[in-house]
Amino acid sequence: MSHTVLVCDDAIFMRTMISDILAQAGFQVVGEAESGVQAVEKYHQLKPDLVTMDIVMPDMGGIEAVREICKTDPEAKILMCSAMGQQALVVEAIQAGAKDFVVKPFQPSRVLEAVQRVLG
Amino acid sequence: MDVSKYAALFLAESREHVSACNQLLLEWERDPGAVEPVGGLFRSIHTIKGMAATMGFTGVADLSHRTENLLDALRHGRAAPKPETFQLLFRAVDALGRAVEGAGAGSEPPADEGLGRDIDAAAGASGGDERPGAIATSSTPTRPVQVTIRSDAVMRGARASLVLRRAEALGRVTALRPPPAQLEREDFDGKFSFRLECAASNDEVAAALCTAGDVEAIRFEQTSPTEAAIGVRGRQIRVDLGRLDALMKQVGELVVAKNRLVVLAARAQDPLFEELSDRIARLVSGMQGEVIAARMAPVGEVFDRFPRLVRDVARDLGKRIRFDMEGEEIELDRSILDEIGEPLLHLIRNAADHGIETPDRRTGAGKPAEGRILLSANRERNSVALRVSDDGRGIDRAAILAKARREAMADASVETLTDDLLLRVLARPGFSTAEAVSGVSGRGVGVDAVMTRVRALGGTLDVKSEMGQGTTFTIRVPLTLAIVRALLAVAGNERYAVPLAYVAETVEFDPGAVTTVRSREALLVRDQMIPTVHLRHLVAGAAGPAPPRRPTIILEVGDRRTALVVDALMGQQDIVVEPFDAPRGMPPFVGGATILADGAPALILDAAALL
Repeated sequence: MSHTVLVCDDAIFMRTMISDILAQAGFQVVGEAESGVQAVEKYHQLKPDLVTMDIVMPDMGGIEAVREICKTDPEAKILMCSAMGQQALVVEAIQAGAKDFVVKPFQPSRVLEAVQRVLG
Repeated sequence: MDVSKYAALFLAESREHVSACNQLLLEWERDPGAVEPVGGLFRSIHTIKGMAATMGFTGVADLSHRTENLLDALRHGRAAPKPETFQLLFRAVDALGRAVEGAGAGSEPPADEGLGRDIDAAAGASGGDERPGAIATSSTPTRPVQVTIRSDAVMRGARASLVLRRAEALGRVTALRPPPAQLEREDFDGKFSFRLECAASNDEVAAALCTAGDVEAIRFEQTSPTEAAIGVRGRQIRVDLGRLDALMKQVGELVVAKNRLVVLAARAQDPLFEELSDRIARLVSGMQGEVIAARMAPVGEVFDRFPRLVRDVARDLGKRIRFDMEGEEIELDRSILDEIGEPLLHLIRNAADHGIETPDRRTGAGKPAEGRILLSANRERNSVALRVSDDGRGIDRAAILAKARREAMADASVETLTDDLLLRVLARPGFSTAEAVSGVSGRGVGVDAVMTRVRALGGTLDVKSEMGQGTTFTIRVPLTLAIVRALLAVAGNERYAVPLAYVAETVEFDPGAVTTVRSREALLVRDQMIPTVHLRHLVAGAAGPAPPRRPTIILEVGDRRTALVVDALMGQQDIVVEPFDAPRGMPPFVGGATILADGAPALILDAAALL
């Protein structure tokens, strides 16, 4: 059975791209969220195996969303998606409970490596 | 970042303290009724504890903590020193010396539990319960771990923090190098190390850490200090500080000889001789500048160890503290730099422990939950000001004033506590406003230790504090110790050197501008009243009447000024400060001695003591 994924990013472009990369590798994208609030809601609703989380989003950022999700599910497998120059935010996200990160621009191989590590 | 710098500083300072402890113990054993040795011992052990905890040397920290408990009990008369007690303290200091050397060389020797128990027993029941949670001893093995992140990895710092998360999932992580703040820098090279306390095998640890991704190598050994030091920045060589000291001493002698030569040449009235002497004078000045420059190092080298300290203290105490540093690039003479770490450590610990309130209290007082401590360095004339400010609760002046009155440091007529008096009260040995004893600081060690250390460097200490707003301590130290530029002043038949670092200006003493402020003579200089001090009155044996025209030196330390009235000024000169063991009875305003250009000795005045 393929792993289920929730993709969280406020840009349709990024969501589409991540979904494509993951779908081609055999993952099942079960939902998308365009804000932190939505990400938390959909996480509880869908219980995905994996979450990809953008850092900067409207209505609660990615880090806050990680914190919220990990409050109820410390084992949540969350992969942060960050842009260059956001190292401090990535570190904060890791401290909040994110399990790994990838840096934009995405190379599909890098994304998949990180996903494999997170799913362990 | 060159991690060995901390280790070297730790080792150098700890060695000094261990050796001081031995001397103090000998002194104390000779006269068990004396009170000074126990205070000195307590301070030295306390300092070693603080440094060791910062470095993550838990064995040293634990042993010093227990010894400190015993000394505390002895100091407060809870346990009388017996011959066995001295023997025990010698054993403790010896063990501490071995532990320090071991830690410095990369492997702490196993703790001597028997000794630890003996110390606790001697300290009475007070021993066990004061041990801070951070310094727990346990039988779980700790191992050094070195990690290298792949050089082509993006965000190596974030990757490193993932590795650390994995490590923390396995056990306790200590002694992280470089400190967390540096991991997040763009130029972090991907190499870091820490100690891991966990039961898993090396292979299991390596496998777990590798799941963080982008890990190139994991090694379970200590970084050797030399290895870490070599290979940083290109064309540099490491020189033993002893060599630089020797060179500095030689240049110092040369400066004295040069000053002498210039005087002789001026007297000889031979143009060729004079030209040669000018040339030599310029060359020596140039050389002096180079040697001083070679001894300079950025204060950041000392600052770098504090963020981790504040973080740990904040975590232990359940506080939220933002720690900022400014002016890390400001340079100081190496010998001063080595001495300044410890006073700063005390002040920063005090700020974190007693200054910053708990988040609840802060929000209750309408302040942000996160407190702030700022450590900054600023160049001021020929000195450097190092400030530790916090936005915490501030010092309760009413309570301090009450205390000052009780101890007869202020009479009942004093209604407000000036910053000066505040500092004098705070700097009393054994003084403490701490509400509770914690493992962090505040057993009455602190301001007096800082004051003693700073004064020994020819520096000054200032405090400003506002209830509810916070406290700022300022340490001012000269740029360099060995050679300073000084103004030569005469009183009676003697000459005195006043370091230029603290000279604001010189004016003529105008008897018409003399007024009185709070029963003290003051001089009105450009609408500002400056209290006066007559050098003639201070020094005994100033023969003959005062000359009609008297130059006056305006001394300035921070924003405090004093007008030093002298008989005459004799220009400026570079003076070599000679180490000075002040004989008993030497007035406090004498800070050292020097040899002048004509070969005669002169005393150096300590500006701060004249204020």
